[in-house]
Amino acid sequence: MKKLIFSIALFTIILTACNNNSTSTAENDTTKSDESAITADAGTSTSPIKGIVDGYLQLSQALAQDNDKNAAEAGKNIVATMNRLDKSSFTAEQTKVYNEIEVDAKEHAEHISANVGNLKHQREHFDMLSNDVYDLVKTFGAGQTLYQANCPMYNNNKGANWLTASKEIKNPYMGTEMSSCGTIKEELNN
Amino acid sequence: MRGYKRILPVLIIVFIGLQFIPSVRNQSGQMAINDISRIYNVPKNIHAVLVKSCYDCHSNNTNYPWYANVQPFRYWLDHHVEEGKKELNFNDYGTYSKRRQSNKLRAIGSSITDDTMPLSSYLLLHREAKLSEEEKSQILKWVEDTRGSLLGSR
Repeated sequence: MKKLIFSIALFTIILTACNNNSTSTAENDTTKSDESAITADAGTSTSPIKGIVDGYLQLSQALAQDNDKNAAEAGKNIVATMNRLDKSSFTAEQTKVYNEIEVDAKEHAEHISANVGNLKHQREHFDMLSNDVYDLVKTFGAGQTLYQANCPMYNNNKGANWLTASKEIKNPYMGTEMSSCGTIKEELNN
Repeated sequence: MRGYKRILPVLIIVFIGLQFIPSVRNQSGQMAINDISRIYNVPKNIHAVLVKSCYDCHSNNTNYPWYANVQPFRYWLDHHVEEGKKELNFNDYGTYSKRRQSNKLRAIGSSITDDTMPLSSYLLLHREAKLSEEEKSQILKWVEDTRGSLLGSR
């Protein structure tokens, strides 16, 4: 009988504990995103997707340095930026492209922010996010010159692209191990 | 021992009370018109594996185990199903954008390669859902082939 009581009690405690935990993280998320919303709004943005590009470049830099925590932080910033993006000024074409990309890109950013300690997984989503951001930049412009670079070795030699603000290669897929591996493929000038 | 005698009724009442937490079954019973098998060519054997090992959490139709009728297990289970469907719902695949469909396919492949899916906590009580090496390679090949044909059709 003792055992039964104990196990019921223990189970209830575990469940409540798990539950509390997830709610408190969610609350933290909202507070954080509010803060960054203020800082980002202070600057005047030239491109409507400037916030996303900034978060993306921050993310790329973190991955190039094998820094999973900063990568997660950047992912969080991208999600926050996307959540408060004002779509009202978009043209029909821009709206179409953005809607096609939105859920996908946000999901990648969320995964990156939730995967501290798993650089491999963060990079996999960075790869897919890079395609999204490339298409966004093609449609909206980045408000700055960006380059598309290619890493031929990543993902079992299937290769992957990323965007960078400088011609100097700092490979986000291979990290510090092969930092300078990669080539510039295209200049995105807008 | 006195203390136990007082606490016991309370615990029993709490346990009974928990059983009244309302929960809706994840069983739509409707034709899944946006199921992945309507979007891609999914061979029967592949679809059977997906249904067996993935659909409990990644579709609109969960095959509930007996303990799903008991709280707080049910609460825990519902949470898993909710998370799973948010991440990937095979029944809603057709509603995803083309790029998300292709990316989900890739994620299916890597979760199998990395052995992150099916979840080990799920396999603990669903031994039949464990993928054999052969099933794994069949799915991986299907993922590769399907992704290849998508790139070709672009």
